[in-house]
Amino acid sequence: MKNPLFLRIWEGVVRLLEGTVVTIFGALVFAVLWGVVSRYLPGIRPSAWTEELAISLLVWLTLLGAALGFRSHAHLGVDYFVNKLEPSASKAAVVLGEVTVFGFAAFALVYGGWRLVTETLATGQITPVLQWPMGWLYAAAPISGIFICAFCIEHLLRPAAFSSPASELSLAD
Amino acid sequence: MSPEVFILVLVFGALLVLGIPIAVCIGLASVATILMLVELPAGYMVAQRISMGIASFPLLAIPFFILAGILMGEGGLARRLMDFAFSLVGRFPGGLAYMNTLSCMLFGAVSGSAAAAVSSIGSFMIPQMEQRGYKREFAVALTATSATTGLLIPPSNIMIVFAVVSGNVSVAALFLGGVLPGLAVGLAIMAGTWFTLRVLKGVALQTPAAPGDGGPQALPTPGVWKSFLGATPSLLLVVVVLGGILGGVFSATEASAIAVAYCLILGMVIYREIKPSALPRLLLKGALTTAVVMLLVGASQAMSWVLSYEQVPQMVSQAMLSLSANPLMVLLLINLLLLAVGVFMDMTPAVLIFTPIFLPVVVELGMDPVHFGIVMITNLCIGLCTPPVGACLFVACGVGRTSIVRVMPAAIPLFIAMLLALLVITYWPPLSLALPRLFGLL
Repeated sequence: MKNPLFLRIWEGVVRLLEGTVVTIFGALVFAVLWGVVSRYLPGIRPSAWTEELAISLLVWLTLLGAALGFRSHAHLGVDYFVNKLEPSASKAAVVLGEVTVFGFAAFALVYGGWRLVTETLATGQITPVLQWPMGWLYAAAPISGIFICAFCIEHLLRPAAFSSPASELSLAD
Repeated sequence: MSPEVFILVLVFGALLVLGIPIAVCIGLASVATILMLVELPAGYMVAQRISMGIASFPLLAIPFFILAGILMGEGGLARRLMDFAFSLVGRFPGGLAYMNTLSCMLFGAVSGSAAAAVSSIGSFMIPQMEQRGYKREFAVALTATSATTGLLIPPSNIMIVFAVVSGNVSVAALFLGGVLPGLAVGLAIMAGTWFTLRVLKGVALQTPAAPGDGGPQALPTPGVWKSFLGATPSLLLVVVVLGGILGGVFSATEASAIAVAYCLILGMVIYREIKPSALPRLLLKGALTTAVVMLLVGASQAMSWVLSYEQVPQMVSQAMLSLSANPLMVLLLINLLLLAVGVFMDMTPAVLIFTPIFLPVVVELGMDPVHFGIVMITNLCIGLCTPPVGACLFVACGVGRTSIVRVMPAAIPLFIAMLLALLVITYWPPLSLALPRLFGLL
């Protein structure tokens, strides 16, 4: 990670991911609002596709956003016990944590998600209204998994860039 | 206990203690258990359950209410609500303290998120209260506990989560059911404040004589009518959201999207406190909060599939009912377990993990799922204010720049007040069920 060009490209990829998530959220708001408007404004046909599109966007928003959440350590965990460890042990726990998250993302999201996408595409299932192949809905899982794996590696390679304490995010926010 | 369930509990517990994000603990515990059931592809199953668990129309309300909460925080809404609260209770002894609780309740009724209330209300109220002779620690404890009422007073995201994991509970019934219990918790906290100001002056006040009597006399009380007008656009949102849902005009999800549109217009056009250039940042903030919550929801769908495959809810149900068939005892037991859980775990994962396990038990005993949801949320609200894991307490301590240990003496009377409210809510079902019944939702 000494190559600044490589780092710059990587930061660009992260910004792109953020931009994608923001765009998806904007589209989500628009889709649901359009569903309401089209139901009540006279002269416009009620849109059946808005609900289906919104649900697909929610899956993508969650999984791509979750990857960014792993990057900024936004996900909720019980850090009470780890904080009680001595510095050397707590360093080991941090590494173990990254390896665990990597393992989960690689096995369930990338490998499992990939099988899910390919096998669903092979069945030819399509969504009821928009007639999109169901497999593409699931594609968010492996893509998110790849990003999560990459962020775990990034954490291990540049710990200094992520030294700020985890933010407190939850429903309570 | 079957070996699969043993592995599930062991893996989940071990990862949890190691500080691994809870969504991953849940996901990996499910993977490990499914791997033991050799005929099923574990990765495939978990990826599918997570994706399908998120793909639900009722859950769509969550990102919108989160976004609406963020927009209200930025849009200058909190201050107008506080003005209104102050005009109502500011003239009474200890008025500033009651105003704090009332502002949190009003804010909760608009946004349905507790930590947002802590930071919006607390950043104004805590310095104000300290200036008027209250101890900073008391102001911090009061803000943290008061803010949790917003999770009971609709709209409330945690209720949507409960409705989805519990299967077929109506969001509208939960929203309406939370109104009176939310008011009850707020009143209990005010009673706790009254008791503290009367009996435990040293805990709340810098000098024994200060604001307990006479209140913050130096502050002129704004006119009730004028400040009500100022807060009207914000309060109107509650009417639109709840009225629309109850009147069957739109679903909770559509109402949440309308709330976003309303907040956008309010913040950008009418109050003009949100600039268009700030929107991407606010959307990203909302997306991250959404993703944290929804990944937990998806992962817990994988785990609840494993749990029901292994018939765990039935096992727990039998075990608890063999301990005691007395509903009062079982409810007490569940409440104690949840209080212990809430001390270490945030509210969302606790609701996601324990609803499928406990709900069959209480339904077996004839309890209404809506009532149980309210009891569970009230219970876990206390956990949000207790160390070592308490989102509201952390945010309040951050805003008030003080430490958790110093806040505890002032917080304990308020905890007791909340516990008493929990007892009432648990053992007096009409408090939660009367309103939904009145509107024909049960």
